[in-house]
Amino acid sequence: MTRVHGTSRAAAPAPFTPSAPLNTVLARPSRTVAAALPRLPFRRPLLLSVTSLSPNARSVAPPPSFLQSHSPQCGDEELGEEFLIFGYWAWLMSFSELKDRHVAATATVNTLRDRLNQKRQQLLDTDVAGYAKSQGRTAVNFCSTDLVCCRTLQGHTGKVYSLDWTSEKNRIVSASQDGRLIIWNALTSQKTHAIKLPCAWVMTCAFAPNGHSVACGGLDSECSIFNLNSQVDRYGNIPVSRVLTGHKGYVSSCEFVRDQDTRLITGSGDQTCVLWDVTTGQRISVFGGEFPSGHTSDVLSISINSSNSNIFVSGSCDATARLWDTRIASRAIRTYQGHYGDVNTVKFFPDGQRFGTGSDDGTCRLFDMRTGHQLQVYSQQQANNDQDIPIVTSIAFSISGRLLFAGYSNGDCYVWDTLLAEVVVNLGKLQNSHEGRISCLGLSADGSALCTGSWDKNLKIWAFGGHRKVI
Amino acid sequence: MDRRLMVVLSAAESADYSFADEYNGPPLPYDIPRAVPIDVDRIPLAAVAPASAGLPDLPVVHPLPSPSSSPLKKPPPTHATPAPPLPVASPTSVIENHASMDRPGAEVSGALGSFGFPDRSTDLSEVVDSSGAIGFSDELGNGAAWSNEMMPNRLSTESALSSEFSFRSSASGDEDEAVALQAKKALLVTFQESGQSSCSMSPAVGVTPRARSEDLDMKIIKRACHRCLKRSRFTEKETCLVCDAKYCSGCVLRAMGSMPEGRKCISCIGSPILESNRGRLGRSSRVLKKLLSSREGCSCPPNLKPGFYWYDKVSGYWGKEGHKPDRIITPHLNVGGILMRNASNGNTGILINGREITKVELQMLKWAGVHCAGNPHFWLNADGTYLEEGQKNVKGQIWEKPIMKLLCPVLSLPFPSKVANPSGEEVNNLFHRAVPDCFDTKALQKLLLLGHHESGTSTIFKQAKFLYSSVPFSEDEREDIKLMIQTSIYNYLAILLEGRERFEEESLDEQRDKQHLESSGDVAFDKQNKVTEYSISPRLRAFSDWLLKIMASGNLEAIFPAATREYAPLVEELWKDSAIQATYSRRNELQSLPSYASYFLERVIDISRAEYEPSDMDILCAEGINSSNGVTYTDFQFPCLAYVGSSIDDDDQQEALLRYQLIRVHTKGLGENCKWLGMFEDVRIVMFCVAITDYDEYYEDANGTVRNKMMESKRIFEGIAGHPTFEQMDFLLILSKIDLLEQKMDMAPLTLCDWFGDYNPVVSYHPQNKNRRGAQIDATKAQQAFHYVAVKFKRLFFSITGRKLYVTQANGLDGDSVDAALRYAREIIKWEERLVCDIHESMYSTEPSSYSH
Repeated sequence: MTRVHGTSRAAAPAPFTPSAPLNTVLARPSRTVAAALPRLPFRRPLLLSVTSLSPNARSVAPPPSFLQSHSPQCGDEELGEEFLIFGYWAWLMSFSELKDRHVAATATVNTLRDRLNQKRQQLLDTDVAGYAKSQGRTAVNFCSTDLVCCRTLQGHTGKVYSLDWTSEKNRIVSASQDGRLIIWNALTSQKTHAIKLPCAWVMTCAFAPNGHSVACGGLDSECSIFNLNSQVDRYGNIPVSRVLTGHKGYVSSCEFVRDQDTRLITGSGDQTCVLWDVTTGQRISVFGGEFPSGHTSDVLSISINSSNSNIFVSGSCDATARLWDTRIASRAIRTYQGHYGDVNTVKFFPDGQRFGTGSDDGTCRLFDMRTGHQLQVYSQQQANNDQDIPIVTSIAFSISGRLLFAGYSNGDCYVWDTLLAEVVVNLGKLQNSHEGRISCLGLSADGSALCTGSWDKNLKIWAFGGHRKVI
Repeated sequence: MDRRLMVVLSAAESADYSFADEYNGPPLPYDIPRAVPIDVDRIPLAAVAPASAGLPDLPVVHPLPSPSSSPLKKPPPTHATPAPPLPVASPTSVIENHASMDRPGAEVSGALGSFGFPDRSTDLSEVVDSSGAIGFSDELGNGAAWSNEMMPNRLSTESALSSEFSFRSSASGDEDEAVALQAKKALLVTFQESGQSSCSMSPAVGVTPRARSEDLDMKIIKRACHRCLKRSRFTEKETCLVCDAKYCSGCVLRAMGSMPEGRKCISCIGSPILESNRGRLGRSSRVLKKLLSSREGCSCPPNLKPGFYWYDKVSGYWGKEGHKPDRIITPHLNVGGILMRNASNGNTGILINGREITKVELQMLKWAGVHCAGNPHFWLNADGTYLEEGQKNVKGQIWEKPIMKLLCPVLSLPFPSKVANPSGEEVNNLFHRAVPDCFDTKALQKLLLLGHHESGTSTIFKQAKFLYSSVPFSEDEREDIKLMIQTSIYNYLAILLEGRERFEEESLDEQRDKQHLESSGDVAFDKQNKVTEYSISPRLRAFSDWLLKIMASGNLEAIFPAATREYAPLVEELWKDSAIQATYSRRNELQSLPSYASYFLERVIDISRAEYEPSDMDILCAEGINSSNGVTYTDFQFPCLAYVGSSIDDDDQQEALLRYQLIRVHTKGLGENCKWLGMFEDVRIVMFCVAITDYDEYYEDANGTVRNKMMESKRIFEGIAGHPTFEQMDFLLILSKIDLLEQKMDMAPLTLCDWFGDYNPVVSYHPQNKNRRGAQIDATKAQQAFHYVAVKFKRLFFSITGRKLYVTQANGLDGDSVDAALRYAREIIKWEERLVCDIHESMYSTEPSSYSH
């Protein structure tokens, strides 16, 4: 097949501007690939901001689609088409040549990305804190009794790795390295269920919106669903009601889609996120993976937008966060850069227009979802010597978004004022605080209580004490 | 009722045997009481207390360490019921006991003789009552037994107390029960009369050593246990210092009892040891250590005087009934029942652990800063932390204030002995990981198997499954593996097809060049010649294009299992095509084709069928263990070596019971920077697998750069060895695929890898040598390379951690070598454990002379 187009390929460094070879391709319907692909009228792909930045981009490579800053509302049609073009390209060239091109394209993309970032930096003349200060806002002031540890949930015999609140009742599910999920009543600190897991290396757990089932995932690359109402077997264990298999790496994060008990999104070490149908156990769509706009390293965390449950954001070891639309699989709507280390945790801001990230580089950042701008960096200025900056393991926003709770690997848990980027209080230094790394934290649905889980095997519930009202 | 603990105190300390002088005076009208000459060999053993039917718990016999015999009082030949107690006491002890009975206030005259008097009904009832007490001494004896074992020649009250414990203690709980049952049985058994005049009543050993050794010597095969007569060469045994009888670990405690005089059979107690055994005195013994270490000792035993006591399990408080606490002993001993409210007769209304405290204690609490308003109820833990009943939050630490140490003696209240308590804690902290495991012999020992992609970890894991488990792979797992193999077959085919494309183009170019040389520009001729030996028919070409496209998009799995049904005939056709065969013959030039691909490719027609069932060998050779690439684990036990004459393995039965868990993690599954390694902090050993043949193999990483696989393994190894989670972990490096090394060394020198640039093997240049023992020289060449690589890794490991790296070799396809490697890992664990135990035990030791390490 390659023989036929040998000549045109030889001149192919810039075959993309003229649409001739592609049209030739379309005119050859006998081939399997062409037959397999739906016939769509060919339109030129969008070369948006990239072209404006680099006039020579066109002549270098096929469009690096994950660079394009489409608006989030970008339609299916265009995307599908872009993928098609990529497919045609793959078909046009031999495999090895394609690889070379890919390497070259990746290099170009990296340089372009750098330029984009530079440009972005130039445009960013202020951040949230600067603006708030100029407006005369002052930081939230907490005294030591405003946020107190009012419950300690003891019962795990291993490090706690993950926790989640139910949406309506005050129940918590926690996952620990002892291979158990425990469901707690946060008010009475009683355990209502203890679920022994088939694989002890669990990393994440989540409550279903209806509160009747929990999901968990871990190093076994599977996501297991347990129905809390199901009959226990003769050993007193709750049987697994559904196993979602298909990931090729550990399941690092899972979250049910709000208002949809049958939909679940997982993030995995195989660089993908997957939307599942829990009832059938089938994958509905896979985000990332082989497609060039996906994460290039392990996905560590996901968060679903609270106002539009079709949109979710994922954080990854490639130091980026990416925004996805569940209706548009295979490409990220947007990529957010800025961190210098693995993005361990992402969480949507309560209004759903922004999201926060926490990273191995010891900072939390606030990104604007639409513009992709980084609004604010939350980091301790008096950072000690470089090697032992505590990494951010988990974050959560208060119900109003004014406070950002961030857990760190050294056992600190800062409460940031999101407006002024100042630490309001450090829960790690309060009385009855954790003795180990804070591995996970979460806010209850009504925002009145914060739960932290730690490697010291305990969970603690913090609540606004005294007359302080919930913010 | 609060649990009354009547303590039977041994009077052994006062039992310095008094011998009457011979009467030399004038003749008397009455009989002089006379002491019968003592036969040293006949040691009377303690008599059995009468057990009336219905008693739940029978007291166990104490061995009597005083040498005497009683020819005068023979026991009745048989007893239908064990009810009548047995008059077994030497005259000396009779005298002793009479003397002590006359003393007012001496309720019990010592455990030794008091049981044996039929006429002492009070004693009897006390004995009967004291069943609980005996249970108690049983428990408390633990610590004593420890010290006893350490100081074999010391005779102490504790040792007498602990005798029952020793009969019962055993490594595992189940066994413990069984032994206890047997001991009970032994008690109920009618007393045997030995051929000789002494009536030695040992519950466990019913015959005197002489008699036993006489009649057993003939029967007992060498190296068999003298008690259970089971013969197993490789189990460790403990030998009596006197009669050289050997006991296996299951019997030694019953045969030797509490060992008040060291390692002697119960019947040999009192006898001098064999001179030839003198060298063994004072050596600590592994059998005993294992037996005794299974229980934790009472590190601060109470001073026991006869009386009734209460014991607070939670805080360790200990006191006389109706009195304030007397001391703080080791908490959580399994002694006594529920603590009663009125145990110490307090009237303050404040409860600690359910006991109403006395006024003095209330004073102490006040000084300690505890708020006692409203008569609260406290829970006091052993470490001094206290909480209010029904609450979760610790309210404070009682012993925290330094002044408490001074105040407590003022109130004559106990203060926790800092010597005993924290030292135990310290020990636990020091050997945080190792100690609990080494005590709990049933604990699961976790072995972590790690390695770079294709380093042989999965093969070793699967081999271990085949070796040790009865059902290595379930139906589901086999199905999964089948799918995996079939997927990989398509993968290999795709690699071949890609290669074919390349070869076709190359040969086309060649032809074109030839044409140019021949300078005949005939186009028709050109067209004809385009068919090379690598060309395939259009039908197959379509399939090839389709497959390559699927591969490029990366969702090969999506087409399965439908592909097996649809394309099996096509695959067959493809494989039989001469072009593919021609490509296959040039497979050495296809870098990305793994070495084991040919194993499957040659049977591709079978495999691509839907009804294909993978054989064991197929499973071993397949890539990976399951399709999800997640963590996999298998529990197993090492079976006892069945064949005699293998390496002398000193397995104990208990060690054979040890369960191991082999955990295999794909390094990719650990994420970047091995982020999740912290989850494996509880493993005992890390086995890092490196394929030794990797030194000249390359792979392409995500960025498209080509890397040497050996260097990549090294990089991962560095990351894992330096990971904070594994700071004190033992590492075993397994160099796998050693069998392929020999062939490879000839084709590619080891120096191809940058890291091995300074490899400079000693080569023998003797041609005769080479001719005669060519095979051997080849073998040593591989061995040399193995040692060189091993040293390289050892140095690397030492430079990172400063510790020793263990290295072994394995060939995943060879079961024996995997078995050997895993057994080596077990040896390392055991060895480290022993090291820790030795340190541990020397911390318990009080007398340095009891050791000779």
